[in-house]
Amino acid sequence: MINETTQQKVLDYIDGRLSAEERKQVEQLLKDDTEVQNWYEQMKEMNSAILSSKEWKPSAALRESFSAMLQQELEVEKKSKSIFFNPVFYRAAAAIALVIALGSLGFRYSKQQAKDAEILALRKEMEATRALVFALLENDQSASQRMMGVKAAYETTRKDDAIVLALINVMNEDANMNVRLSAVEALGKFSTEAIVQRALIESLPKQTDPAVQIALIQVLVQMKELGAVQSLQKIIEDESTIESVKDEAHAGIIKLS
Amino acid sequence: MTDEAIMEAVKNGKLEQAAVLFERYHVRLYNFLARLAMDKEVGEDLTQNVFLRMLKYKHTYKEGARFQSWIYQLARNVFSDHYQSMKRSMNSKLDVEFLADKVADVESGVEEEREARLHQCLHLLSEEQRELLVLTRFQHMKYEEVADILDTTVANIKVKVHRAILKLREHYFQLEAYD
Repeated sequence: MINETTQQKVLDYIDGRLSAEERKQVEQLLKDDTEVQNWYEQMKEMNSAILSSKEWKPSAALRESFSAMLQQELEVEKKSKSIFFNPVFYRAAAAIALVIALGSLGFRYSKQQAKDAEILALRKEMEATRALVFALLENDQSASQRMMGVKAAYETTRKDDAIVLALINVMNEDANMNVRLSAVEALGKFSTEAIVQRALIESLPKQTDPAVQIALIQVLVQMKELGAVQSLQKIIEDESTIESVKDEAHAGIIKLS
Repeated sequence: MTDEAIMEAVKNGKLEQAAVLFERYHVRLYNFLARLAMDKEVGEDLTQNVFLRMLKYKHTYKEGARFQSWIYQLARNVFSDHYQSMKRSMNSKLDVEFLADKVADVESGVEEEREARLHQCLHLLSEEQRELLVLTRFQHMKYEEVADILDTTVANIKVKVHRAILKLREHYFQLEAYD
């Protein structure tokens, strides 16, 4: 077993962080100790894999959307400046301040009115959340926005058929694996619904990505969904299925039967 | 002109100068975020968010602060906001054997396969360890720079990077054994 200090020294040696004298010490150690030598060779191999790792290039869309965003910010800045320097702005601001001051003096809500307003506000908030979920889920340009949409859908407290259908659609059709995976997890929350149970079973043969297949199997097993056994059997028999998924399917069948 | 001088100009209303900072940093930030997220598409979205925050929160940039540290801190916040509340079930479901199967599926050259293996091993690390290795090994930042971004000491970074490297080595050669 190589001690931590020696490991650190060898790492620093590979990274070129040692003084001439320390380098000599490490080189001597490498000659004398085959265990350290082997460890050094492995670290060097891994380091060279890291060094030869290519930088990823973002698509042209990133620059385009930045330019559009900057342009928008420039316009907002320009507008806010022109409003601020306009005397009408001050007159309008003074008028608004006056209305607020007068309003707050004489205005009294009755208890019932306050309650109604509260219910209305809650309803509006729910509608806004719903609109937000759909806007996010339908954003074809951004996988992270769609993931946020799935998360927002997961957090909705009331069951909403349209949202559930949208999640099913995302699970089956979304181009991004991580988004599909999130949708499977979110649907797990609504697994007592018959429509969701059916959709999860039907989705199993459609999914090809191992991570999504495994997530689906786990949700179905958790639901004790006997209807999934046939699909699980097919997955096991399918030659293109990778071993880990087959194992999960096997375990699933055992747990369900 | 230094990054800091440009950011000062942006802060003082010369928004168009932000384009220079975008040119200097977008590829690095994209690589940082895409590698943390393990998703190139999400990486682009998050990079876009970083620059949006740079414009929205330009007033929070303090004169004399290192721009690189400030923008990477924004990037860390963007990443954390995106993923903190989102359960990353992938990590719990992946194991080395499973990844080895995925590697075996890739029909590509030795170099590509080696790189794919490397990234799969990165995925098996904790987010903190992955972040440290991306910054120090892939982006070649000095420990001092990373300590500045993470607001900690160089000694602390050194110890944590060491542990992360050892963990990566463990996964790397375990996965190689499956090839």
